[in-house]
Amino acid sequence: MSTAEIAIPVPRARRRAFGPLATLARRRFQLTARTPRELFVPLLTPIMFALVIAPALKTALHTSASYESFVAIGTIGLLIPLNTMFSGLSVIVDRVSGAQPELLTAPIPRGLLVVGNLLVAMATTALQVGVLIGVALARGIHFHATGTGIVWFVATAALFTVGMYGLAEILASRVPRQEEYIARLPAIAILPWFLAGALFPITALPGFLAWVAKFLPLTHGLALMRYGLRGDSTGLHAIWGLSDPTAMAALSLAVVGGFGLLLTAASIRVFSRSAVR
Amino acid sequence: MNAIEVTKLSKTYPGGVEAVKGIDFEVAAGEVFGLLGPNGAGKSTTVGMLTTTIGPTGGSARLAGFDVAKEPLAARRVSSVVFQEPVVDRSLTGRRNLEIHARLWGVDPREAAARIDELAGTFGLADLIDRPADTYSGGQRRRLEIARALVAHPRVLFLDEPTVGLDPRIRAELLEVIASLRSRTELTVLLTTHYLEEAERLCDRVAIIHAGRIVALDTPSALLGALGRQLVEIRVDGSVNSALASLRERGVAGEDAFAVGSRVTVPLHRHSSGEAIAAIHDLGLAGAISAREPTLDDVYLRLTGDSLAAAA
Repeated sequence: MSTAEIAIPVPRARRRAFGPLATLARRRFQLTARTPRELFVPLLTPIMFALVIAPALKTALHTSASYESFVAIGTIGLLIPLNTMFSGLSVIVDRVSGAQPELLTAPIPRGLLVVGNLLVAMATTALQVGVLIGVALARGIHFHATGTGIVWFVATAALFTVGMYGLAEILASRVPRQEEYIARLPAIAILPWFLAGALFPITALPGFLAWVAKFLPLTHGLALMRYGLRGDSTGLHAIWGLSDPTAMAALSLAVVGGFGLLLTAASIRVFSRSAVR
Repeated sequence: MNAIEVTKLSKTYPGGVEAVKGIDFEVAAGEVFGLLGPNGAGKSTTVGMLTTTIGPTGGSARLAGFDVAKEPLAARRVSSVVFQEPVVDRSLTGRRNLEIHARLWGVDPREAAARIDELAGTFGLADLIDRPADTYSGGQRRRLEIARALVAHPRVLFLDEPTVGLDPRIRAELLEVIASLRSRTELTVLLTTHYLEEAERLCDRVAIIHAGRIVALDTPSALLGALGRQLVEIRVDGSVNSALASLRERGVAGEDAFAVGSRVTVPLHRHSSGEAIAAIHDLGLAGAISAREPTLDDVYLRLTGDSLAAAA
């Protein structure tokens, strides 16, 4: 074998990050596609809420038709945490019985593994949110979205997904077994949902809990998504108490964006540190 | 330049467990080097430090000149690992597993495709390579992992107990595969094992590691040669120390004779086994006597007081 054949491949600058990142994301996508339950299980509960429970509550409580769209968006606040937490679970599976140990010996920054997983979690979340909204529309639930509103909605959903995936990745890095991870899932994915104004405005909460709810990124996320898809700024007003909806939306987007950036940075750090014993 | 240079490398885990205690060794390019020791001796921790998944707490290590602590990406670029446990994406095809490795190690896609076909042929995977890895047998999966480790033309290949948990037939088949790696003269192999015959058969040099320390390092023949051409083993009913003293006094045993439990082992340098056994009978040392060629287990036993086969 010639010397030329054993020369170490020197990566081009352009592919230093994007080539491996694309490989890692494609790998994660292929693994996810081969476990369809990861795609469909997180959808079940939100669809049940949006299509069955919300119409039933509307009828039972004699509320207006807009309550259905209120809850439909509220269920996105359940769908995103559930899906990202399921994605985090697959990180543990990868570590225990998959090829993650091999990936940790690859000549790439280990943070790319987190980013690759994040990209796929965002893609599957986008698919699921799209399905949820599509099913809601098919069920006759109306939204009043403008082009700008859709931009607010997409930006919020994306940043909130980034933050929640960061949280899932941190938990997966710190928890050794799937059972322990699953035991923590309700407290992280479900409990905040009941406090964040998913089924009713946070003004209906007892005073102390309403104050707590204002600090939850999910409360800001839901208020923003409703502002985007329904043109309804009451959720933002309940948080900020200002008169300018755009200013309140910008403030809440900053909160959700900060949540996303902070948790992503923390997840990369925690993962990279946990990769070295 | 040496392919691997390890200097006073040590690792103490949180909680105070000293897994590796300041070991030193060098491996020349193209050499097959064995780390031989029982479970818990520090072999896998050493491989973990060399592959940058375990942080050393002291000393240094270089792969192809790259410091594993200061230049981890460069060190990882020139090396590959076959792990003790199966580490594959089971739902992906064998080819996809190899492709992912090639991409992450920066191999050009066209070159990688040709290389994968070549390795699939070499390792008897050509008919399996497009099947999901979870349909492979244990031996096939191991061969896939070795093929994967070679896709990117590593300079250093780590084989961490590659035959553990395999049935004897698959193990024998895999040893053939590993032995064939020797023909790749550009490749340096560091093999960890607790199987004596693997180390003897595959390695140019062997470091015997015990409780985190290297207690002997040489070629298998030199390590065995130190115990003479043959040795006599005596199971003694009474005091082994007085039996050993009598044997030395009589000139049958030298300073390298040793006793473990009720067994005295006498390396034979000047005497034949017949002469030694006759002398032992003359001394009236009762018990079973046997003569045989020395093994690495005897080397390990003499150095540590433990049987490697029993400790593993």
